[in-house]
Amino acid sequence: MKTTNPQHRLLALLSVPVFLFLVIPTAIVVPVALNDSRYITFPPEGFSLAAVAGFFADKAWTSALTASLQSAGIAVVIGVLLGSTAAIGLHGRKFPGRSAVMGLILAPMIVPTVVLALAFYQFFISIGMVGSIIPIGLAHAVIATPYVYLTTRAALAGLNPALVRSAQSLGAGPLSVLRHVYLPIILPGLISGALFAFSVSIDETVMSLFMQSPGATTLPVKMFTDIQFNLTPKIAVSSALLVSVATIGLLLQVLFVLRRRSTARMLPLAVSAQT
Amino acid sequence: MTAATLQTALEQGRHAPGEGRPKGRRRLSGWWLLLAPILAFDVVLFLTPLGKLVASSFADNAYQRVLEDPLVLRSLVNTLSISLASTIVTVVLGYVIALVLWRAGTVTRVILFAVVLLPFWTGILVKNFAWAVLLQDNGIVNVFLQGIGLTHAPIELLHNRFAVIIGMVHCLLPYAVFPIFSSLTAIDDRLGLAARSLGAREGSVFRRITLPLSAPGISAAGLLVFIISTGFFITPVVMGGPGDMMIANQIDYYARQLTDFSGAAALAVVLTVMVSIMVAVYQRVLKAGGQHEDN
Repeated sequence: MKTTNPQHRLLALLSVPVFLFLVIPTAIVVPVALNDSRYITFPPEGFSLAAVAGFFADKAWTSALTASLQSAGIAVVIGVLLGSTAAIGLHGRKFPGRSAVMGLILAPMIVPTVVLALAFYQFFISIGMVGSIIPIGLAHAVIATPYVYLTTRAALAGLNPALVRSAQSLGAGPLSVLRHVYLPIILPGLISGALFAFSVSIDETVMSLFMQSPGATTLPVKMFTDIQFNLTPKIAVSSALLVSVATIGLLLQVLFVLRRRSTARMLPLAVSAQT
Repeated sequence: MTAATLQTALEQGRHAPGEGRPKGRRRLSGWWLLLAPILAFDVVLFLTPLGKLVASSFADNAYQRVLEDPLVLRSLVNTLSISLASTIVTVVLGYVIALVLWRAGTVTRVILFAVVLLPFWTGILVKNFAWAVLLQDNGIVNVFLQGIGLTHAPIELLHNRFAVIIGMVHCLLPYAVFPIFSSLTAIDDRLGLAARSLGAREGSVFRRITLPLSAPGISAAGLLVFIISTGFFITPVVMGGPGDMMIANQIDYYARQLTDFSGAAALAVVLTVMVSIMVAVYQRVLKAGGQHEDN
């Protein structure tokens, strides 16, 4: 519906600053990282890869990058396995306690991350599991799994449960049903969920901060620690790396939404991840 | 086989008389195995840590101790006032964005959706870092303010409550846009057409049709944004000053500075109970507003 009456033009005009407010902070990150200056400035004074080189030459930052990728790997693998099996297991089935099971699956999204951070911190100390990236990866898996569950469930919404029954009545065993009926249908949801899980883990700060140790300091934790003293070019490079990941995730998601229009609906459900 | 005949076959399959009991039971017992991994995982790594947290909060008279701490009371007041301010600004700005998305053509809508989703995908530290760069003493905002002669020396734009609210609103906006947008798309376009054909002006169509009919989306957005606001931890540290600490920062302070774990746990339980109550209200609002999110 295209209208050119004055009120709509006024609305469009009013909205420009709001959209700029949304975009500008993310848009300046990469130019700031490629700035030819020893200080953090915007607009940039010239193009230089010095800060990027400095980032990759600094052991503290590269090991933080490695730790982040490891924790994200753990979160994605566990999230994809648990989230997808849960979505398939609940698809089209009614049983007593179904809503309780769903509540449990989604609950990690609504508990504030600082509360989970404290709980995991105490828990992993009490079982003697500290000083490695594994507890951080497991903690990230706990909050990433509901995202995979939701995206897989959204992908499954179009599947008629009768199709499964038909396949079974034609003699397909459980594994064959998973492979030939469910997998093709959930695949886009799985990919989208894996992206979410990766993004949730790579950006998560609070839990990683509580559970950090010299060998297990993730990128956001390193950024958080340094940013309180000074804004440095290495923080800018780290931010630029994370923005690149975010942009790739966003582009894939837009493609996905264009194809199936279902994911945007569930986004507001995501409560916990980013505070 | 065409899609239509396949569909008919499926419909018939649903009521097929051959589908007896024993078969159904066998299938059910098998499918439970799919839920076992996530249930085991959540019981061990979600419910157990939370249960231990709650249990440890009852030690050492922790609740009374923390609730008598003036710092805790101040962080609670900060949490409420910062969250409320952020929520109001976020919902107003979110409404503007949702209106534009609602009125936009398909291509514009996809592009603008991407613009709204970009901060959603970007981590909080990256966003706060960017704001710190923009708002620092020699940052572009201060340069601009001096350029137009509004001020001669840089204004301290960082490390105060204003900066915290800016940073939080930027993180929260996408969460406000979606509920409002979905309540706007539920409005029957013919209502506006009818009103206009009866002589209503745009302003009164908005006031008497669009705004009231999108009210459920506004309240859902407001609640959701408020819920998320109360848990903020990073932004008050990076963008705020010592007087802007929120409840999450207080939990951190008890745990990692004072190493008073029962106190930290008690505060964490208080925050979780507050959030859970608001989530319950939020789901009521969603149901009443007719937005189906079957969780």
